[in-house]
Amino acid sequence: MTFTLKLPAGLRKAQWKVKIRDKETCEPPHVTVIYRTKSWRINLRTGEFMDEKPSPSEVPRQILRLVKEKNNWNRLCKEWDNLYPSNPVPHAPEKEE
Amino acid sequence: MPLSAAQNIDSLTVLDRAKKRPLCFSRMRPEMVSTKSQIPKSISHATKNSLYVSYDKDLTEALVKHSVSIHPSLGAGLFNHALDPRWIPALNKIFQRIAFKTDERRESGFLPPEELAEVLQADNGKDLFIGGSVDTTTKTITLWRGNSLEPLTVPFSAFIPAGDGAQPDFSDFSVTDYGQTVRLGDYEAAVDAILYENDSDYRRRISKRRLQEEQTFGASIRRLRKQRGLRREEFEPTISAKTVARIEQGKQKQHQVRNKTLEALAERLQVEPEKLGTF
Repeated sequence: MTFTLKLPAGLRKAQWKVKIRDKETCEPPHVTVIYRTKSWRINLRTGEFMDEKPSPSEVPRQILRLVKEKNNWNRLCKEWDNLYPSNPVPHAPEKEE
Repeated sequence: MPLSAAQNIDSLTVLDRAKKRPLCFSRMRPEMVSTKSQIPKSISHATKNSLYVSYDKDLTEALVKHSVSIHPSLGAGLFNHALDPRWIPALNKIFQRIAFKTDERRESGFLPPEELAEVLQADNGKDLFIGGSVDTTTKTITLWRGNSLEPLTVPFSAFIPAGDGAQPDFSDFSVTDYGQTVRLGDYEAAVDAILYENDSDYRRRISKRRLQEEQTFGASIRRLRKQRGLRREEFEPTISAKTVARIEQGKQKQHQVRNKTLEALAERLQVEPEKLGTF
């Protein structure tokens, strides 16, 4: 089932979401930050943004901090592995600030 | 000036008796039609780039009745109410494209008005869905894109169960996240994944963009060669086209390329050898 990272009320109200859906583009493992008509994919193996557009700088730092907070990051990797066991995240990167 | 250059919409008409809902479209400066008597005037100045959005079955019926005699040529029609299937041929004659709900159950539907308005104006509307309809007979879902309601029909089989066993529930359909997610019960599918698998044009565009964004040495050589307007054959006889292809495709890594080849590449591409991988 789709995993949605719990965000603080302010970000939720502003319509930010962080999800791993049941059906995602295949490679590589990633989490998607969604804001209205835009989205950003973050690689769960490297912690880097996968696309240049839209600009990663548009994502609030608070969201990046939450995504990369160690417990959340580990949970995201675990959820990806549950949903996509044939394409697991082999190594979760260390927390990045 | 078009309301949405990306989607070629120059006017929006909303057919609705409710007062509040049309406010969601206010940024598109819609023409509001809330009575049957307003329909003839609305059609008289509509064009082939006009978008009609109807939330009212009676007003849609009046639109059909009025239009069959004057044969207008309108852009797109979105009917966000259960549509009488007998009207579809007439609506297809009036509009270049139509999108509609098949019934009031949860097997078809559109984004809420505020999200719909935003997607209709989005530059990436072509890659977002505004709604869709499930057909259990043919086991397909028809999804309408945000750009002029272009349809895409995908089979149920595209929605494979997730690794944790979550199954799509085709009797509970909606499009959410401003057109970025198709929800089937508790199961959610990313629209970019659906498009990637079912739309060759989308695949081409994405592949091209990813190649441009790729940060490898090979991708850098490819971009630079394109910038210089060179074909791979134009590196011959110093470097074979096959070798250039192998380098660009990453089959031959930078450290595996002989210095002599790197120097020849750099000379032909008019850059210093150490800058080859920086483009």
